[in-house]
Amino acid sequence: MPGSIASFIIGVSSIFLAYYLAAVGHGLMEKSGVLNLAIDGVFTLGVAVAFAISVYTFSVPLAIFIAMIVAALFGLMLAFITTKLPISHGAAGLSTMFLGYGLAALVGLPARQLQINGRSLATIQPSLGGTWIWFYVVAFAVAVGVWCLVEKTKIGAAIRAAGENPASAEALGVNVLAVRLFASGVGYALIGIGAALFELAYTQVWSQGAGMGYGWIAFAISLSAGRHPILILISAMIFAVLDKYRFLIAAIYNLPPDVGKMLPFVAAIAAMIIFMVTPLRRKLAPPKSLGKIYFREERSV
Amino acid sequence: MVIIRRVKPLPYWIIPIIALLAGIAISVIILYVLMGASPAAVLSAIVYGFTRPGVVAKTFVALTIVGIALLVSFKGSIWNIGGEGQITFGLMAATWVALFTALPYINPGLAQASMILLAMVAGGVWALLAALPRAYLGLDEVPVTLIMNYIAYYIVDILVRGPWLGKHVYNYIRTDTIPSQVMFPQVPGTTMTWDGLLLLIILLIGVWYLLKNTSIGLRIKILGNNPNLLRSSGISVPLMIIVALTISGIIAGSVGALYLGGDVYRISYPIEVHTANYGYTGILVAWLSMLELIAVPIAAYIVSALYTAGIQYQILVGGHLGQLITAGSAIVDVFIGSILLMYTILITISEYKIRIIVKKR
Repeated sequence: MPGSIASFIIGVSSIFLAYYLAAVGHGLMEKSGVLNLAIDGVFTLGVAVAFAISVYTFSVPLAIFIAMIVAALFGLMLAFITTKLPISHGAAGLSTMFLGYGLAALVGLPARQLQINGRSLATIQPSLGGTWIWFYVVAFAVAVGVWCLVEKTKIGAAIRAAGENPASAEALGVNVLAVRLFASGVGYALIGIGAALFELAYTQVWSQGAGMGYGWIAFAISLSAGRHPILILISAMIFAVLDKYRFLIAAIYNLPPDVGKMLPFVAAIAAMIIFMVTPLRRKLAPPKSLGKIYFREERSV
Repeated sequence: MVIIRRVKPLPYWIIPIIALLAGIAISVIILYVLMGASPAAVLSAIVYGFTRPGVVAKTFVALTIVGIALLVSFKGSIWNIGGEGQITFGLMAATWVALFTALPYINPGLAQASMILLAMVAGGVWALLAALPRAYLGLDEVPVTLIMNYIAYYIVDILVRGPWLGKHVYNYIRTDTIPSQVMFPQVPGTTMTWDGLLLLIILLIGVWYLLKNTSIGLRIKILGNNPNLLRSSGISVPLMIIVALTISGIIAGSVGALYLGGDVYRISYPIEVHTANYGYTGILVAWLSMLELIAVPIAAYIVSALYTAGIQYQILVGGHLGQLITAGSAIVDVFIGSILLMYTILITISEYKIRIIVKKR
């Protein structure tokens, strides 16, 4: 049945790209050694910003652009405070997550009110005019681009050095702060685009709390593929299919629809556990200094 | 910008206070910019929260208990962000006792006690499940406990929409109301219940004893500071991780019973919308207390006042955002986020001095 295969490929294209960009952005940031626990809050905020801008201006590119900028600013802030100050990455990330949740609701609610009063939302239809093909092209292009950036360029070497051992990297002339700002800014920009696509190309509805939890799915997608830009293509695809067809899966097995809501989250934990128990964990080990406080002013002798 | 270690750290209570004021200031600005909320209205809602101990009491009791629960695991450097899921599981267990056993009609006192006890067991089990991969695989407990919150919500959703759907609920999707015998009696003039107050006192004394006088308490504290010491003295680190997280879950679970028996009396679908978010708000309490047990109730009072202020603000001014809107929880999130972030950043200045040096060309 070629028709159903085509509709399958088109159907998962938007959520695949959204998950892929968020997961690869997250991975890039963590490669530089900044533990990213703010992803869910900023993802939720990105969803709300994209929704609000789309309602206000009826422009999809503008909505994606603003969501990207907002997310990137949060990435820069996180990288700055965790590198410049001797504070816990986890605490900084979680506080930012809550701030993201709150801001998301405040940004989205007035636009939702406008929408109820009759204003419409500009969206992207993956099936229209072959848009879905571009979704896959973008995903593969980003995969190759990020892989080349991390593995083949000087900047990539600096990012990996900052993640493995920032003190030595600094001694060898790498500006750890600049490298982390770059990786986090670009990483969060990708997360922001992912969030915008999640809203405008996939769910296309918004209510308070929309997107909450999906940032953590992206987190699990990235972790279970060892933050490797090419491998994340595979795990993002698995989760995209699961997300798209979860209610169908629940219905096939005659289970309540809430089982469908639960599936991606159960799978996220399962994927992380599988990653930890298999040899993947050693092959794709996390950066050694991930989440460790690096404090330049106070170097141990 | 140059950062220098202080010879003597600042007194520990200064940072939470500065963080609180700075966080509130930032929240007021955010609310003004994004919602056009007049700072005076926000501040008056905050004053309302701080000056109505009777109204705040219910939230205060819940947040103090969650704060104590998280404190136990935070002491061991185990970041239990799954309080929300543990509370939801406790809520589920308590609902089962109240609705599906004969206990409320036989012995109401025993029924109330078993609601709380079974809620604690359920919370403990849920935390234990998150503790196992952390202890034996080294899987970061933050994403695991957080994702498990969603799973807990949906398990309860499945029950409420399926086998637990009430018979006397008109067209609402929710469980029946629990029998009046197991509605916890209220302390007159306040929103809290005797059960909650009693539980709070027992837990405060119990955890104080645990941390001060037992070997388990000592081991949890060492786990937080120097796990290698535990390892070298022959104590199993994974086991201590499990113990710390499970105790934390047991205590948090009890809040589910209080929420059911003293507040909502039934579970409404979907629970993720109807939850009080105590599990998340409790993180703020535990951090603001600087992990000092004695400071937990103080931090809980401050946070519950802000929590009430967020809800109160919505009641006062919610109108202009439209009727469908529940911005109250969003305001609470903004408060939590900005205060926590300020706290995380400002904690630096208790041990370090920040000097801005302008380079001369």
